[in-house]
Amino acid sequence: MPFRRLATAKPFVTLGLVVAAWIVVPVTIKTLARASFYELTAPITVVASYARDLQQYWSLRLHSNGELIEAGRDLARLNASYEFAVQQNTEMQAEIARLEGLLRLPAFANYRLEHVRVASRDFSGWWQRIVIRKGKNFGLPVGAPVIFTGGVVGRVTEVHAATAVVELLTSQNVRLAGVVEGDTRPISYQGGLNPTFGPPRGVVEFVPLDVFASAAAPKRLVTSGLGGVFPPGLTIGEITHVDLSSDGLFKTGEVKLDERLGSVAEVTVLVPLTPE
Amino acid sequence: MATDDVNLAERSGSLVESHKGYDTRVIFFYFATAALLLVLVGGLAYEQIFKTAVHGKDEKVQNQRRILIPGPRGNIFARDGTTVLVGNRPRFAVMLHLDELKVELRREHIRIHQNFVDAGDKKDVPSYSQLEQLARVSLVQHYLDELNAILGRSEQVNPRELQRHFERQLLLPYPLLTDLEPADFAKLLERLAVRSPLEPTTSIARDYPFGSAAAHTLGYVGATDDVDAEDLPGAGLKTFKLKGSVGENGLEQNFDSLLQGEAGGMIYRVDPTGYKVNPPLEKRLPLQGQNLVTSLDIDLQLAAEESLGDQTGAAVAIDVATGEVLVLASKPDYDLSKFRSPGTVADIQARHAWTNLALNGLYPPGSTFKILTTIAALRRGTITPDDPIVDCEGALSKYGRVFVCDNRRGHHGEVLLREAIAKSCDIYFYTAGWLTTPDGVAEEARRFHLDQRTAIELPHERGDMLIPDPAWKERVQHEKWFPGDTANMAIGQGAVRVSPLQMASFAASVARGEVSTQPTLVHQADRPAQHTESIGLTVAQRAALLDGMIGCTTIGTAKPLTTVEDFRVPGVRIAGKTGTAQFGNKLNVAWFICFAPAENPEIAMAIAIEGDTAGEEFQGGLHAAPVASAVLKKYFAKKALANSPLAHPFKTD
Repeated sequence: MPFRRLATAKPFVTLGLVVAAWIVVPVTIKTLARASFYELTAPITVVASYARDLQQYWSLRLHSNGELIEAGRDLARLNASYEFAVQQNTEMQAEIARLEGLLRLPAFANYRLEHVRVASRDFSGWWQRIVIRKGKNFGLPVGAPVIFTGGVVGRVTEVHAATAVVELLTSQNVRLAGVVEGDTRPISYQGGLNPTFGPPRGVVEFVPLDVFASAAAPKRLVTSGLGGVFPPGLTIGEITHVDLSSDGLFKTGEVKLDERLGSVAEVTVLVPLTPE
Repeated sequence: MATDDVNLAERSGSLVESHKGYDTRVIFFYFATAALLLVLVGGLAYEQIFKTAVHGKDEKVQNQRRILIPGPRGNIFARDGTTVLVGNRPRFAVMLHLDELKVELRREHIRIHQNFVDAGDKKDVPSYSQLEQLARVSLVQHYLDELNAILGRSEQVNPRELQRHFERQLLLPYPLLTDLEPADFAKLLERLAVRSPLEPTTSIARDYPFGSAAAHTLGYVGATDDVDAEDLPGAGLKTFKLKGSVGENGLEQNFDSLLQGEAGGMIYRVDPTGYKVNPPLEKRLPLQGQNLVTSLDIDLQLAAEESLGDQTGAAVAIDVATGEVLVLASKPDYDLSKFRSPGTVADIQARHAWTNLALNGLYPPGSTFKILTTIAALRRGTITPDDPIVDCEGALSKYGRVFVCDNRRGHHGEVLLREAIAKSCDIYFYTAGWLTTPDGVAEEARRFHLDQRTAIELPHERGDMLIPDPAWKERVQHEKWFPGDTANMAIGQGAVRVSPLQMASFAASVARGEVSTQPTLVHQADRPAQHTESIGLTVAQRAALLDGMIGCTTIGTAKPLTTVEDFRVPGVRIAGKTGTAQFGNKLNVAWFICFAPAENPEIAMAIAIEGDTAGEEFQGGLHAAPVASAVLKKYFAKKALANSPLAHPFKTD
C-alpha cells in the first residue's frame, strides 16, 4: 500500500526535483538554455511563417486575371504618386542638407534600411511583440527602431541568430520622445494597457498646456528625433484626448495608434550606421 | 494461598490509595491557576479588543510613512488677467528610486567587502556602516554614470548629500540631475529602460516671462520644508516632505497664503528596513494655489523701465479713480529668472539693487512739494491766484539772510500763482511758506497723508518718511525753527522726506480734488472709484492750480514734454510739476509728478531719478519728465487701440 502511494506521487516528486534543480542551476546555464530554446524554436517559427506566405501565395493565385489587371493598374497609379513624392523628398532632403550646412547643425543619424517579414505575432495582455525573420545574420542590433507604412512599429529588444523580437509601440515597456506635429517641445509617449482584441492605444505625458486635442480634432504625434534613437517625423499615432495633470504644469492624454499594427506583415528595421 | 494473601495485604497496606475527596490546597491551586489564566486572557482580550485602536495606531506609526508633496503656487497676472507675470515652469529632472535598489545595494556591499578582504589585511576592512555608505555612493554613481554616458556629462555624486538623503528621506526618490534641457530630457525618455530605477520626471520652478520687469514688486520665493497638509490623513505618521516654496519678498510674500498650493501626499507601508512597499495605501494629488491678478500694466511697466534705463530711480503710475497701481518700477533691479544663478546675489548687492526705490527711496521732493504749499496757502487765504505776493529778482534779503531763486537764475518779477507754479519760482513759494507758517504747511502735508506709509500690499515699506515742523525740530534736533527752515520746507527741501509712491498718490489725489489715495496692487474689474475728503479749494483756486501745472508742461520747467517731438504725447494735455532736490552727499534727485489728461485725469505719475555726480545739474524737466512721457505715450496709444479707457476715467467737479 505505501509503495502504491509512492508510485502515485512520483510525478510530483519529479516535478519538485526539476524545480529544485532549476533553482540551483547557475544563471549562466539558465541564460544559455533560454537562448538555445529560442534558437531551436526559431526554425519552426520561420518555417511556419514561410508556410503562411505560401498559403497566401496560392490563395492569391485564385484571383482572376481581370482582378489582377485591375490591381496592377491601381498599383501603377499609386507608384506614380509615390515616384512624385520621392522626387519631392529628394529635393527637400537636399534643401535640408544645404540649410543644415549653412547653420552648421548636426545631421541626424543615418540608418541602413533592412526590410523584414514578420514571422509571428504575440498580442496578449502581457506581451505586445512580434518576431521578425532576420537577426544577427543581417546585423540587426538591440534597440534599433522598427517602422512600417503606418509609422513606428516599435524597437528591437532581442536579437537571435536568424530572428529578432520587436517590442511593439503598444507595449508598456516602450517609451519614446515625441512631439506634436509642427511643435518642438518633447512629449513622453508610452504604450498603454492594451487588451488582446482592443484597439491599440498609448498614453502621453508632459503635453504642453497649449496643446488641445479631441477625438473630433486629433493632433498627430510624431517622433521628435531628440532622443537619438528614432529619426524625426515618424508617425506614432494621434492624440485624441488630453487632460490637465495634477500639478497643473502639463497635460496627460491618450494616443490612438494605427490599427494595422495588429496585422503588420512587413516591417523595416532602421540599423544605425554609426552605432554608439 | 491464604497465607500469601494475608502477607500481601500486610505488605501493601500502606501503599493502597485512599480517596478523601478534594484536597483544599489543590482546590486553591486550581482557583489560583484559573485566576491567573483569567488575568492573562482578560489582559489579552483587553489589549486585543478594547485597545485595538491604540495598537492599530502604533502599528501604523511603525509601519507606515507619509510623503507630502507641495502644491504648485498660483500664477500672478497683469491687470488684463491673461498676461502671466509669474507662473510655473517645469524643471526636467531624473530621479533615482532608492527603494528599488535594495538587492543591488546588498550585492554592492558584499562586493566591496570582498575587495577589501582580497586586498590584504583584515584590519583595513571598514565598519559595516562605512561599507554601507561606500556601497550607496558606488551604486548611485553607477547609475549617474549611465546618465553621463547618454548626456555626455561628467557629474559626480555628492556623498554627504546622499548620506543625508538616505538618513532623512529614504522614502523619497533621490534627485540625480535637475534642470535638464528639454533635448536632454527627450534623450533620457527614449534611452532609459521603462523599468529602470531611473525615472525622467519634472518638478516645478517659478517662471518669470518678463525677466526683471517689476522684479521688486513681484518678489521671489525661497525653498521651505514647512509643507503642511491639514486634511491629509496620517498626521501622526513619520512624514517626509518634498521641498515647497514660500514667498520671501514682494507680492509673493504678501499674498503667500493665497498663492500657496494645497499639498497632496501619499501614505506608504514600509518594510522593516524602511523601504516603501508599492502601491501607496492612500494618495491625494496636490492642487495649485489661487491666482492673483495685479493692477500692473506690463506694457506701461516695460515702457517705464526701458525709459529709466541704467539710471537709479523709480517711476510710479496710478489709476486716478481707483488707486490701482499701473506701474511700480525701480532701478537698478535684478532678473528674477536668473535669481538663483551663482554670483547673482553678490552682483545685486554690489549694484545696490535690492531696494525698491519706488516704495523705500525716501527723498526730499523738491519743487513738486510746491503744489502742497500752494494748496496750504490757498486754503488758508494767505495767497490768492491773482495777487502777487513778492517781486522775484533772483534773490531776496529777509530774516537777515539772502534767499535765492533757482541759483540766482530766476528773475520772475511780480509773478502770480499760475506762473509761479509753471516756472517754479522759489522766492514766491518761500514767501507763501512764511505767510502760511510751517505748521500750516506741515498740517496740510499730513492731511494728504504724506507723513504715513501708503499701506500698499507690499512688505517692508519704510515708515520714516518725514514732514518736519518746529515741534519736531525742537524734539529731535533740539534746535529752534528758523525762517530758513520754512523756506526750505515750502520748496520741498530740508528735512522733508517722501517716497515716489507717496508722491504718485499725492498726484492722484490732487487730480481727483481729494486729500488721499489708497494705492493698491490688486486689480478688480468692478472696483469703485475712491472718494475721500475734498481738498477744499474753490473752483477758481483749483483752476489756477491746474493752469499752473499745465503751464509747467507747456511754457515752464517741463516744457520739453510739448516742445521736444520725442517727448510729446499727441492730443493730451498734461498737468505736472518738476522738482530738483539735494540729498545725501550733494547729489541731486530729479522729480516729476503729473496727471493726464489735465481736464479729465485718468493716470497720475511720480518719477524720481538720482543723479550720480555731486553738484551736477539734474533737472526734473530734463531727466524725470521723459520717463513720464514714455509711459503716458504707451498708455494713450493702448487706449486709442482698445477704443476704451484702460483705467476708469474720473470726471472732476
